[in-house]
Amino acid sequence: MKSKLKRLLKWELFLFVFLIGELLFFSMLTPGFLNLQNLLFSMNDFAYIGLAAIPMTFVIITGGIDVSVGSIMGLASITIGVLWMGGLNVWIALIIALFICALAGLLNGLIVAFTDVQPLVVTLGTMFLFAGIALVISGGSSATGYEGISGFPNSFVQIANGITFGLPNSMWLMLFILLFFGGLLHLTKYGRNVYLVGINSKAAKYSGIATKWIVLSTYILAGLGGGISGAILTSYFSSARSDLGTQAILPVITAVVLGGTSILGGRGTVLGTAIASIVVGMMNYGLQLSGMPSEQTTIVVGVMLIVAVLMRQIDLSYVKKLFYKKKVPRTKMVIKI
Amino acid sequence: MKSLLTKAIQVRELSIILLMVIYFLFVGSINSEFTSADTIVLLLNGSIILLILAIGQSFVLLTSNIDVSVGSIMGLSAAVCGTLLTSGANLGFVICIVICVGAGIGLINGIGVSYLKVPAIIMTLGMLGVVRGIMLLYTKGMWIEDIPNYYKKFARLEVWSIPLPIWIGALLIFISYLFLSKTKFGRYFYAVGDNADGAELVGLPVNIVKVLAYILSGISASIASLIYVMNIGFVTNQTGSGIELQVIAAAVLGGVSLSGGIGSVVGAGLGAIFFTVINSSLVYMKMPAYWNSAISGLLLLLIVVGDSQFQKRLKRGAHKNLKKLSQKKITLEESEHEKQTKALT
Repeated sequence: MKSKLKRLLKWELFLFVFLIGELLFFSMLTPGFLNLQNLLFSMNDFAYIGLAAIPMTFVIITGGIDVSVGSIMGLASITIGVLWMGGLNVWIALIIALFICALAGLLNGLIVAFTDVQPLVVTLGTMFLFAGIALVISGGSSATGYEGISGFPNSFVQIANGITFGLPNSMWLMLFILLFFGGLLHLTKYGRNVYLVGINSKAAKYSGIATKWIVLSTYILAGLGGGISGAILTSYFSSARSDLGTQAILPVITAVVLGGTSILGGRGTVLGTAIASIVVGMMNYGLQLSGMPSEQTTIVVGVMLIVAVLMRQIDLSYVKKLFYKKKVPRTKMVIKI
Repeated sequence: MKSLLTKAIQVRELSIILLMVIYFLFVGSINSEFTSADTIVLLLNGSIILLILAIGQSFVLLTSNIDVSVGSIMGLSAAVCGTLLTSGANLGFVICIVICVGAGIGLINGIGVSYLKVPAIIMTLGMLGVVRGIMLLYTKGMWIEDIPNYYKKFARLEVWSIPLPIWIGALLIFISYLFLSKTKFGRYFYAVGDNADGAELVGLPVNIVKVLAYILSGISASIASLIYVMNIGFVTNQTGSGIELQVIAAAVLGGVSLSGGIGSVVGAGLGAIFFTVINSSLVYMKMPAYWNSAISGLLLLLIVVGDSQFQKRLKRGAHKNLKKLSQKKITLEESEHEKQTKALT
């Protein structure tokens, strides 16, 4: 009974129920919302949140934070654009951009792991740095910052907008990222070490885990995630801009925290983050469909972020006790008989 | 001489002034216009908004929390200020209402962080979105123009050929410096940031101090918005967006530690000025403006990392000295012991 209840009260399930409630709510607001085709293709609109948030989960589980991921998105986007404009094959440009983003993550990780500076300060600095580099690349290549570079080949645009086996490509990509990072976090030794570093870094160090390298690697993953996310956004808009990700940091961190990852480290799942990013994305999408300007949806996302953390803080054991009090006497009676 | 230098670097306010002077001379050697008095006043005037925000932020940082919602608070306050002024309201009334807006949002932040125990970054990140959205609802996404001329003229009001905003900034720094370093309640901020549990056990009103820090941060955002409206003369719907990160960067640059209990408002103010100086210097060096954030990000990283390595080495040095001292003591004791045993035999 206890394990069943535990499973029922699991955060991921709650999120899933919340997501369904959300869908029903929006279908009441805008008739025709609850159309499978519509819902599936709305994924294209917000897949980037999940793609950046899932790797970010690793960083936050180790007790860090990476606020530079929005700038990394812009960096990825403009790198692809400029390299492609320089005559390179767009796929090679994509790979180089992802590599650069991993390097950007490496820089974050190196500074966080090997100095005493707090992750927030480090990634704040690199946020300026990467956004600046992206601007310099875009300015230096005489691509005007606000129009961006467009006219990508169709095959590249299809990454985010195309369909494979009846499902949008971005959904496949999200699924792949979910399985890959979920496997990495929950099934491998590396994943367990990530948790351990977040729960108690010193204990992890004394038990022989190379804590610094674990921390370092999570930032590389987050950088790579930002790169993938930026590439998808570039493909989705079919235009490369250096400021693509400037507004992304609020929804990305909201997705991670709403997904049940503790900002203090040591707790969280990839699945939770994935569901939460769909919850956040659907919220944005639904509100916009029902006529709310996209800037004002930040009210709802912000409130969701705070309430999610508040709810995590309320001790669920209270709810469990309510259930137990009813059950316990009955079992006793059974024993007596 | 060497010890004097290390001491100067240890006191963050001095080291940041030193760095700033070096930077000034460096840019001045490229373009002599940069070191003229007019430019310096211009730079100071340009840094006032960041400086006032940094004062408020350092109260929050001292209690080992963080407030990333200040940009949005500033935006909403500016919108309220703009609409009230254009509707012809009394100036005193406008200032009161605007400051109440900031204080009210700060109060919400503070209650969330202290009593409801929401992590500060989450609480204020959430409020960043909420307040920005409320601002856009309030203004319907429109710009507010036609700010009455009498209000805009305050920005050009000069006392002893120094503009009014600089005086306001200097006054605020002076008051908060006195409050934090000379009053008993001011010291509570350091105590709470250094060791909240310890402060609680000693009987300090920890939660009230935290709430007050957020209220002060909110009020500083409101005052900054008053000066923003004065200086710029209109309110865009993106007012203050992104400035929260510059504020934190400025405070960190000025030696305020994010882990609480370390730093001063003077340092934070100097950090804000230095941050503005870096950002404005590129124009004088004839570099395109798009290099701005790359260079300020790089300098921020270099200074912060350099400082942490320096402090580490200092600590290590202190440890070595301690070890040497204790070893000396041991050898002394041993020799005394030997003497005693010799005397006995």
